[in-house]
Amino acid sequence: MTQSVVASSTIVGVEAIPVEVQVDVSPGLPAFLIVGLGDTAVLEARDRVRAAIRACGFDFPTARVTVNLAPSPVRKHGAGFDLPIALGVLAATRQVPQSTAEAVAVGELALDGSVREVPGLLAHAIAARSRALPLLVSLSALPVVSAVPGVSVRPLTSIAELRRGLPEERSAPPVIAPRFDDVPDLAEVHGQPAAKRALEIAAAGGLGLLLIGPPGAGKTMLARRLSGILPALTEHEALESAVVHSVAGLDAAPVLGGVRPFRAPHHTASTAGLVGGGSPPRPGEVSLAHNGVLFLDEIPEFSPSALQALRQPLEDGYLTLVRAEGRVRYPARFALVAAMNPCPCGYLGDLARQCTCQPALVDRYRARIGGPLMDRIDMTLRVDRIDPACMLRGSSDEPSAAVRLRVSEARAWSQARGRPRLPPTGAALLRACALDGASRKAVEAAARVHRLSGRGVTRLLRVARTIADLDGDPSVEEKHVLEASCYRALQ
Amino acid sequence: MSGDCRFVLRLGEDGYPAQLAMTPRPPRTLYGIGDASTLCPGLAIIGSRKATPYGLDCAAWFARRAAREGVVVISGAAMGCDQAAQRAALEAGGRSVAVLGCGADIDYPARARDLLDTLRSGAGVVVSEFPWGMPPARGHFPARNRIIAGLSSAVLVVEAALPSGTFSTADHALEAGRDVLAVPGSVFFSGSAGCNRLIRQGAAPVCCDEDLLDSLWAAGLLGEDTPRCIGADDERLATESTDPVLRAILAEPVALDRLVTSLGLDAAEALRAVALLESAGAVARYPDGRYGPCMRR
Repeated sequence: MTQSVVASSTIVGVEAIPVEVQVDVSPGLPAFLIVGLGDTAVLEARDRVRAAIRACGFDFPTARVTVNLAPSPVRKHGAGFDLPIALGVLAATRQVPQSTAEAVAVGELALDGSVREVPGLLAHAIAARSRALPLLVSLSALPVVSAVPGVSVRPLTSIAELRRGLPEERSAPPVIAPRFDDVPDLAEVHGQPAAKRALEIAAAGGLGLLLIGPPGAGKTMLARRLSGILPALTEHEALESAVVHSVAGLDAAPVLGGVRPFRAPHHTASTAGLVGGGSPPRPGEVSLAHNGVLFLDEIPEFSPSALQALRQPLEDGYLTLVRAEGRVRYPARFALVAAMNPCPCGYLGDLARQCTCQPALVDRYRARIGGPLMDRIDMTLRVDRIDPACMLRGSSDEPSAAVRLRVSEARAWSQARGRPRLPPTGAALLRACALDGASRKAVEAAARVHRLSGRGVTRLLRVARTIADLDGDPSVEEKHVLEASCYRALQ
Repeated sequence: MSGDCRFVLRLGEDGYPAQLAMTPRPPRTLYGIGDASTLCPGLAIIGSRKATPYGLDCAAWFARRAAREGVVVISGAAMGCDQAAQRAALEAGGRSVAVLGCGADIDYPARARDLLDTLRSGAGVVVSEFPWGMPPARGHFPARNRIIAGLSSAVLVVEAALPSGTFSTADHALEAGRDVLAVPGSVFFSGSAGCNRLIRQGAAPVCCDEDLLDSLWAAGLLGEDTPRCIGADDERLATESTDPVLRAILAEPVALDRLVTSLGLDAAEALRAVALLESAGAVARYPDGRYGPCMRR
């Protein structure tokens, strides 16, 4: 009997599902076969594994080696099976202790036998924890996978170390301390008091914000500072977001440090790039922005189909991709910030330059965003270029940390009111607002003067409720409604 | 269509508007649909297609005032000020002439279709020097402006940039010896530069109803027996106020940030003050996001 079984896992969506790597070494013409629906990277493991085993002073069996990846109907992707296959071959030929097979092994091998990281290690770590098995990974991945509480990590640098059995359990210091130093600070933005106020409200209420202004007004600069005024991620949220980053092969460390992700896809982004897709399916920008901010600059320039694809994540907080090989679900709960020019040339309403656009063209440009998406934008704000003198005068502007504190307080207050998460609608929203005579009159007046639709009134109340939260007010008052009415959509 | 009363007027023949025949380059033929008797001397009200609410409100206000005096309002049915003036004149029970840069049976601009249909069905008239079915073209509009000036006795420019098609109409008016009136605008706003330039060049500024009626009378558009004095019921256009926010906004359309910095307010305070004025109808948010004066509702 020269067989062995090693545990591993493969990524489907943002989860790692268990895969058993079965290795059989039997007499016959020398061959190395891998079966079980592996992609090219999996099949290429043969050459890497053979070279790595020899480079570390082991013998590669001169026999018929068959590797089966079970369950066979699931497609397996990537080079992460190098390590479990090598381990299986070594265990089947009794070159390493049998105890080494009692771990979830995930890693790519270099030809010299050293172990490398693969995308999605955080998901693999979570899967290992739920199977109550230790995780065998590259040493370089230790700081990141240590973020998963309760998982036993057995790091190694080379398969040569397996000769002595399973490596020792090790852990790295947790990276969970908010690191806002790398996030741009709001104090660097001079002037723009109204825009800063709007950012604060959007952050406090998790509201969608649209910034409209000429080129160079600072729309992007303002939007980039939103993640700095959002409260730090909770440990649970950080892990959720980090898993998505890990699966996409991006650095998960900043997210694990508590900083909310900020994603700003370019307007040429494809639908698959924005919401996820491809083969194997990869998370898109909306999922990378999970628990953070998705910033769509020049939003009318995005392809209409890509913008339409945002509807499901905006409504449900997750995204389901349906493909021939099955369906995968990605988390995607984010704050939407969009920016656009007031017209195609960008200078409508600019005092210094004349707009050259036909009026009909301006309407068409604005209509490109589309109704369903506009419905999710609660606040609209005009941003103008600032006076250079104000920029040179130096800064006495409030730092992000101070705003973040107010935002956290407002969020805590809204939670204390018994409201778990935005956006409430209908009766729940009305109850939360607890309008009195004056504020009710203000809502009616705003609806009449600005010809608000039903949805417009809902948005108005939602913004007013958030402003009241910032004031720590149990009920929405007239002044809150008045301010909220300034953030209605531009006609 | 039975309601479609088309007519063709030739220069020198009966029915051709006399005031147009006396201009330097009158059109040889005038194609029209609607009530041909509307082609009497009137007041042309013109302005920018990219009008601000201020321009639109001024156009509507003065058109209404003229219509109430029985003066025909002549314009080009273009987007913005032209349409605002013609719609207001019809609403006030007056008559109006639309001069197009395409065949008189073409709906251009498309958004003016309802206005043009109302005029064609007898509330006024739609005329053009271009034959039936001729599509609009860039070169047609300066020629159209010449007819607007030619049909009128006075031309009121409510809002115009520099240079602009509106400004060219004023030039045609001067060439034809018509009175040119202009509504002044902010000296800081490029969209008002045309009007302010016209005033500088000698156009009569129109700031209130009395100014307008004076000018209409001088142009011979009001009958000799029309009393020239303005009654006590005359509505005042200018708003009086001591509220610094309102004063700032009435003086010139202003962005919120400017308001916050120049008045030293907190952003939230400024927003609340503006929203209050807005819901009272004292100021309006312009399509570009600035706040500015508007007609009291």
